[in-house]
Amino acid sequence: MLVIGLIPEQNIFKQLERYEPLARYVAGKTGTKIELKLLPRYGNIIDNFQSSGLDGAFFGSFTYSLAHAKLGVEVLARPMSLDNTSTYHGLIFVRKDSGIRNARGMKGKRFAFVDKATTAGYLLPLGYFHDNGIPDYKTYLKETYFAGTHEDVVYDVLNRKADVGAAKNTVYQRLAKADPRIPGELVVLTRSPDVPENGLAFRKDIDPSLRSRVRDALLSMDRDPDGKKVLEQFGAKRFIETTNADYAVVLKYVEDLHLNLANYDYKND
Amino acid sequence: MKRKIILGLALYSVVFTLAGFYVIHTIRTATADLDRLITLHQVEILREHYLLQIKKVQSDLTLMETPHSREFDTVVKNVMNMGRIIDTCFDCHHTPRGMERLNNLKAQTGRYQDALSRVLTIRANARRFAAEEDAAFRTGEELITQVRDMIAITTSRLGESTQKAMDEIERTKYILFGLVMLGPLVSAALGLLFITGLTRPLKVLLESTRKLKNGDLDHRVPELRDEFGEVGASFNEMSISLKEQMRKMHRAEQMAVVGQLAAGLAHEVKNPMAGIKVAVSVLAGEEYIAAEDKGVLQKVIGEVTRLEGLMKDFLNFARPQKSRFEPVNLNHVLNTTLTFYLKAHSIGGKNETTRIERDFQEIPQIMADTSQLQQVFLNLFLNAVEAMPQGGTLAVHTRLEEGSDRVRIEVSDTGKGIREGLLGKVFEPFFTTKAKGTGLGLAISRQLIEQHGGTIGVESRAGEGTRFTIRLPVTGKEEAPA
Repeated sequence: MLVIGLIPEQNIFKQLERYEPLARYVAGKTGTKIELKLLPRYGNIIDNFQSSGLDGAFFGSFTYSLAHAKLGVEVLARPMSLDNTSTYHGLIFVRKDSGIRNARGMKGKRFAFVDKATTAGYLLPLGYFHDNGIPDYKTYLKETYFAGTHEDVVYDVLNRKADVGAAKNTVYQRLAKADPRIPGELVVLTRSPDVPENGLAFRKDIDPSLRSRVRDALLSMDRDPDGKKVLEQFGAKRFIETTNADYAVVLKYVEDLHLNLANYDYKND
Repeated sequence: MKRKIILGLALYSVVFTLAGFYVIHTIRTATADLDRLITLHQVEILREHYLLQIKKVQSDLTLMETPHSREFDTVVKNVMNMGRIIDTCFDCHHTPRGMERLNNLKAQTGRYQDALSRVLTIRANARRFAAEEDAAFRTGEELITQVRDMIAITTSRLGESTQKAMDEIERTKYILFGLVMLGPLVSAALGLLFITGLTRPLKVLLESTRKLKNGDLDHRVPELRDEFGEVGASFNEMSISLKEQMRKMHRAEQMAVVGQLAAGLAHEVKNPMAGIKVAVSVLAGEEYIAAEDKGVLQKVIGEVTRLEGLMKDFLNFARPQKSRFEPVNLNHVLNTTLTFYLKAHSIGGKNETTRIERDFQEIPQIMADTSQLQQVFLNLFLNAVEAMPQGGTLAVHTRLEEGSDRVRIEVSDTGKGIREGLLGKVFEPFFTTKAKGTGLGLAISRQLIEQHGGTIGVESRAGEGTRFTIRLPVTGKEEAPA
């Protein structure tokens, strides 16, 4: 049996519902039972990988970089979205009527991050403050908190629970399609470089044949009618092979921020 | 009766088939009611289960961040179960109003899940966390209220539906009991009706048979229905025929006795009469007998001759001659006989008041004894002429009867006719209305016609005339003479 962890990219229950058909499909193709394990926080995946007996997980780009550095996990595939992109980037956004247009305007405001272990939800604003000469955002801002999911950050800013938010563009755009208030009332101030979409990585000592079967099942889904249906439900065009090289951009980003992955404290304050 | 039995059986089958269908329909309806009831109770259980699950999640929420908080996985499982239960509700059929309520419930569940997800994932200061936790809790409470309201409404409806279904089942039970009790009664009543319908006419027929056996030939079967009516009619025809045969046998026996007596008497009288006739003839030839006495003797001789003829008739009647059948042209025989008779009796001359009418149509030859037929026709002509002492019309007609193999001969006169009361006796032997008749002419005629397989009948009206009708088969004798 394979235990696969899921990070809270969106409402955790919807996240679980989104991944369940995919898990059933891969289980059917590989002949291996798959159990999905939901994690309340991005960073938990690092803590819980071994204690929860996880064999693999769908990691965010920064989480994978952390996990690869700390646990040695190896990525094998990631989804390509319906618009043929397999990357995402982070956004910093505010309400249009907030009057905030730059870092200076954020002084004394409330900032909603996603998690310390996210590229879009933490590294981007960290870099943004760094680039704007704000060494300690905690004193610069009135309040900061970690909403836990990208979705919650978007809605917190929209619903005035926070003044500024940072989240990944894929979630932002998906929500914007369903809720016209988002494009109507929010405005994006800046974005991060593109980083790889959440990919599946296995622990380094996983059975190579099992790893190979899972990879084959994922990569050939778009050529299988049943797989196509699952992909459609999942919201992806196909799965593409992914290697550590794809995460070079993340590592560069981390380097620019002078962060050390080996001793990075990913726990939310 | 056969038609009635078939109709009865068909009716019986239809009634029982309909009853069977009704029973099946009733059982199906009752089963469907029970199914519906079970489903409603299952739905009720589902709602209770749903409420329980929400309460469990609320409890998880309340215990969060306390020493008694449940594992994250357990909380997730409880929340997911809550979502699955509400999804199950959509598997059933609902009214638009019910579907609207269900959609509201699902939307509220979604909001609750969003709030829970938020509480489970957020890391913020205590005030913000408490606010999120409180929001989730209030959403959960609203959901509980909504579900409770729904349960209250549906419980009331469930009670009504249960009562209605139970009433329906109770009614079905009574109907089934009624049918189970009524079925045998209807069968018995129908059976009794059929048996009575069969046995009653049979009983009547049996009673009639017994009466016939006891010699009551005048008994007639009363009117019966259907095939029994036909049997009754045949029975009555048989009685009539039997009575006729009995009458004929009786007459034949009478005639045999009379014939034997007459033959014996004729034989005994014949020789003395011959002796008397010869003796008187001799005496009348004697010269010493005065002329006026000779006239008396001649009258005696004439009367003796008449008596001899009478004796001959007796013998003929008692011991009829056998018929010698040969092809006969009936029109020719009639014509010859009539001509001979008319000449012999000097009838039909210019000064005669008796008119002769011949109407011989084309008829085929028949098988008959010519001399016997001549005897019959002569007798009829004689009777006709004697019935018209003041003159009249003697008509003789022949024709082939349509649709049968018989020829018909009619001999009619316009004489005084026969009184109605006597008409039935004219063919009886020794019955006569003439002063000097023997009463054997028509009896012998009928005997001869019947020997030919034919019939002879008479119609008459007093003062208007008489008509004798003879019917003879073309192919010869059809039946034995009576």
